[in-house]
Amino acid sequence: MLPNRSRLSVLIFLLPPLLLYGAAVLFPIMQSLFLSFFSWNGISDMEFVGLQNYVHMLTGDAVFWRAFLNALGYLAICLVLQLGGALFVASLLTSLRRGAELIKTLYLLPAVISTVAIAFLFVRIYSIDPVGLLNQVLNWVGLGNLERPWLSDVNTVLAAVSAPEGWRFTGLYMLIIYAALLAVPQELEEAARLDGASRWQIFTKIRFPYIKPVWITTTIMATTYGLRGFDIPYLMTNGGPGQSSELLTTYMYKTAFTSTDFGYASTMSVFIVIECLVAVGLIILMLKRKADA
Amino acid sequence: MKKLLRTAALAAAVALSLAACSGGGAGNPSNVSPTGEIKPREISWLLSRPADGAVINIMKKLASDYAKDHSGFALNLITTPDRPSYIQKLETLAAANKLPELFDTDATPFAQQLAKQGKMVDVEKLLKNLGVYDSYRPNALNYQRFDDGSLHMIPFQFELEYFWFNKALLKQAGVAVPKSLDDIPAMCTALRAAGITPLAIDGQDQWPLERYVAYQPFRDAGPAFVQKLKKGEAKFSDATGQKTVNWMSRLGEAKCFQDGFSSQGYSDAQNLFTSGKAAMYNIGTWELQSLATDKLNPAVRENIDYFTLPAGSGAATAANEYVATSGIGMAVNSKTFDPLVSDFLKFALEKYPSQYAATGALSPTTNVKTAIPANATPLYKKAIDQAEDLGSKLAMPWDTQLDPTTNTRLQQELVLLVQGNVKPAEFTSTLDATIAQNAPKFFK
Repeated sequence: MLPNRSRLSVLIFLLPPLLLYGAAVLFPIMQSLFLSFFSWNGISDMEFVGLQNYVHMLTGDAVFWRAFLNALGYLAICLVLQLGGALFVASLLTSLRRGAELIKTLYLLPAVISTVAIAFLFVRIYSIDPVGLLNQVLNWVGLGNLERPWLSDVNTVLAAVSAPEGWRFTGLYMLIIYAALLAVPQELEEAARLDGASRWQIFTKIRFPYIKPVWITTTIMATTYGLRGFDIPYLMTNGGPGQSSELLTTYMYKTAFTSTDFGYASTMSVFIVIECLVAVGLIILMLKRKADA
Repeated sequence: MKKLLRTAALAAAVALSLAACSGGGAGNPSNVSPTGEIKPREISWLLSRPADGAVINIMKKLASDYAKDHSGFALNLITTPDRPSYIQKLETLAAANKLPELFDTDATPFAQQLAKQGKMVDVEKLLKNLGVYDSYRPNALNYQRFDDGSLHMIPFQFELEYFWFNKALLKQAGVAVPKSLDDIPAMCTALRAAGITPLAIDGQDQWPLERYVAYQPFRDAGPAFVQKLKKGEAKFSDATGQKTVNWMSRLGEAKCFQDGFSSQGYSDAQNLFTSGKAAMYNIGTWELQSLATDKLNPAVRENIDYFTLPAGSGAATAANEYVATSGIGMAVNSKTFDPLVSDFLKFALEKYPSQYAATGALSPTTNVKTAIPANATPLYKKAIDQAEDLGSKLAMPWDTQLDPTTNTRLQQELVLLVQGNVKPAEFTSTLDATIAQNAPKFFK
């Protein structure tokens, strides 16, 4: 317990960031909530429509649900690549004696490249005419029949726009998990090894439970970043072809700034806020239950 | 996510603070001769044109000439060539009632709402007052007009759109220039059979494919079809609508466009044609420097020619009527219109046409002659002279006509239709439902 005076000074120091957070995050969310009950195109008079935007979004807008499902698919691919890939590489790194620094730097590199550059890079990689890297490699390894315009094919485009986002941040999460893995006490692992534990057992019984708090934080970070995914799909395909790579965020953006339907776009933004809160809640609940089991 | 929410919410905040002033902040759009002293200051032009293009370069020079006699005057050019980003900026500023003295816009439904609110000066009256109205090509002005005939934007260019083709590739495939639009799918099949990409297209930007959907209705029913379609008074399920839907589907089945076209950009399409891999390329005279001068790849230079939108027999519009645009227009903010803006516009609009025509481009006015560049091929002059034989009905690009939501959906569904991902019937019902739902908000 802090003495009263210290508690007061802590509160005083916390107040400015709290006010900033309130002004930059909470206030706009409340504004969006307010706007979601109106029909307004930016220059017309605001017309109160009650829950009409919500009813339309939930029951009458097929594109919204398509974008929602796409966003979940995008999230799943990003999480597998980012968290799965990060854990795998970080685990391998711990057993490396030399070159770990170099590999860490190489993996981290995509995280510092500009989004626009990444988007253009992958558009070229996926291209079929002129032949891009991916199709060329497929050809070289004898899988020429798999050659396709990855970004124009409605069956592959979602995975194709998700992969760059996953690839981009794998290094960042790898670094966080690697740091956590380094903190696992070596004597525990050695003792387990002496008792005859396999590598898998060491990982599941010692390492993973030890890094769990970091894993939870990383999962929450990756999930919220995945749900807010916007720039790469927008730049690579603009949600197309059709709505095949349309995410809730890109759809919301177009509704606001192309269709100038600010009221309906605000309704979607409220949905995204709720979606993120639910996702974070579910992650915490699942991991807690697992821990209690 | 927070960042996005912030963006949306900031727009919302702007919106809320402005809700009270919506409808306010407009001057008198009909007052085209403001009285009072000319007080030089900096004025801004929010525009969506290439940063090093002729329009910007000339207007910069004219502004600097004007400033010599009007100390303190400056023209601040704020350009966003990427059109979707520009539209976003324009709409946000319009919502905030912070539009600058001059701003670019097409004759879109959104712009029409701005005009109805009195936020844009009546350009017809303004040009007449400045004594330059009669020098403009009627087609250049008509392109800028809203459906009700009112004029609120000044054109700065005039462009004709042609189908450029490679004679050698057509000969290689044993096909001739199409006489009607219906000839094109069969032509594509023959070109594909000869290993040639029939049509190069910039699918990424979506408007080039949207041009194609406008062609059949323009030939079948004239410019009136899209005027009715956008209001829900005509439908894609009508005979004319079905004609274009089925034709687009046939273009897809015949693999008319390059593989993976939907993710290929402007330069990809142009390279495909200029490198001799694609037989045809539908683009406007703004690309004359690339297609009809010695800058063009020597291997294809002698083989390039063009044809205009095929008419066929029994068409509602004549062969000399096709897509001719005067580009994005410049609107004048009525709120900030004063003697200085009026005087500068008079100065600039009188001098602009001759300087623009000297760059080898088509002026929106008829009082100057385009200078053919020294490095031009004979095709350059032919393409420019074609402007003198232009009919009075123009095929309007649909992206400037439809309400924004329908336009977005049409662009998306067109790709799917041409790729064979949706059938014509599904396309028809989706688009008719989209128009029915969204048109009333813009065309009450």
